[in-house]
Amino acid sequence: MSGIIKGLIVTMKHVLHIGNRPTVTIQYPYERMKLSPRFRGLHAVDENACIGCGICEVNCPNGTITIVKYGTRWFPQFNIGMCMFCGLCVDVCPMNAIKMTGNYELADYTRESLIYTPERLLFSKEVKQ
Amino acid sequence: MNAYELIVNILTALGAYEPVLNIFKAHGAEYVLKVIIVFVEIVVLMAFVLVTVMFLTWMERKVVAMVQVRYGPMVTGPRGLLQPVMDGIKLMGKEDIIPEKADKWLFTLAPFIVFIPAILVFVPIPFGDYLIISDLRVGLLYIIAISAISPVAILLAGWASNNKYSLLGAMRAVAQDISYTIPLALAAIAVVLFTGSLSTVDIVNAQSGTWFGIIPKWFIFLQPLGFILFLIASIAEMGRIPFDFQESESELVAGFFIEYSGMKFAMFFLAEYAHLFAVSAIVVTLFLGGWNGPIPSFLPAFAVPLVSLVYFLIKTYAVIFFAMWLRDTVPRVRIDQLLNLGWKIMVPLALLNLLVTGFLVTILANGVI
Repeated sequence: MSGIIKGLIVTMKHVLHIGNRPTVTIQYPYERMKLSPRFRGLHAVDENACIGCGICEVNCPNGTITIVKYGTRWFPQFNIGMCMFCGLCVDVCPMNAIKMTGNYELADYTRESLIYTPERLLFSKEVKQ
Repeated sequence: MNAYELIVNILTALGAYEPVLNIFKAHGAEYVLKVIIVFVEIVVLMAFVLVTVMFLTWMERKVVAMVQVRYGPMVTGPRGLLQPVMDGIKLMGKEDIIPEKADKWLFTLAPFIVFIPAILVFVPIPFGDYLIISDLRVGLLYIIAISAISPVAILLAGWASNNKYSLLGAMRAVAQDISYTIPLALAAIAVVLFTGSLSTVDIVNAQSGTWFGIIPKWFIFLQPLGFILFLIASIAEMGRIPFDFQESESELVAGFFIEYSGMKFAMFFLAEYAHLFAVSAIVVTLFLGGWNGPIPSFLPAFAVPLVSLVYFLIKTYAVIFFAMWLRDTVPRVRIDQLLNLGWKIMVPLALLNLLVTGFLVTILANGVI
């Protein structure tokens, strides 16, 4: 009986937010969590830095990356459906061309649309002359 | 003293009753008007109960969410208030599945037998001054008798589903209902000893006024043990979480309504919350003074029913909140613990309570002290 009363007091403290008991839910589509700057989301490839050497392709443990021709040069292409976001491609890139953005909303309707071609990955940093 | 007279009074005050009655009298059919008024009462009661039940499903989710430091439903309507409407629309759109080997007639009948008594219980409950459908002289007996129909329907549902979990859940529900109806009725009889009447209006009227000008003359102060017994027994009868054996998810998946879907499931769900509201209203009527409260004397006569209704609803929602709060706090007990509690503790305590109450009432009535 005393146990039930103690429990009732504890739950009432939660209802009234007494002590350190804030409502922690985040109303996801309307508000978002603050991400860490090193969050591993979708990749991005620096158009000017990438030399198409293929070291990322060799190092990718899941075989996510293939080097494809885009325009006149060679760039990595990511199959996000196979990626485990380990970040090895970012670590091994000799030119620091690959980085990971904070984009985590990658769900899609088809497997084909999970393949991110260079067209969707490339960004060009402003080069200081 | 009931809603019929209230409607007649209002119509008379508006000057509409006499002409309408004369129209019906001209055709020699004044009973038609009576039937119409009763029908209006029933429609208002049904609408009130269904809206309350929908609100209660929302409130339950909100209270659970508050205890678990979440928000609960937030998207549909302000603070998710229209969530029950969406749930209803969703349930109506669901496929109505009847299992192949089920007893189809009983399977279809059972949700209605659960649902209708849950509404019928409200007939002798005084929602406010004058706001009672019918002041039965055996009101309390009627309430207990009508509540006793629901285990039959639950057994029907469990049997007709042709599913082992359904049948087990139904068996448990019946065992639980029977063992907890006894302390429930005994605790209610102790109240009846004070009033000398089974009529709910008499019970509420006996609780009007105060002692020493401060303490309201509610039966909770005369019957603290009876109140606790009645509350625990009614929570067990409702089948809410410390005692929800009929649908204990971890053991029976969903209990007796495992095979039900769509609107049939919705009827069980609505009946459950209508039962919660009814039981809370009965607790308020018996122990918490019903609609009694400080009604200021300067109010016009037509406002008194409304104010008393507000008092009644405040008290009822307090009891409902307690039931929800308890549900979110305590885990489910074991079935043997439940029956032990019922037969070894609650029934003897209720009998003791009845004995002491009867003794005191006899002494006081005969002026020994």
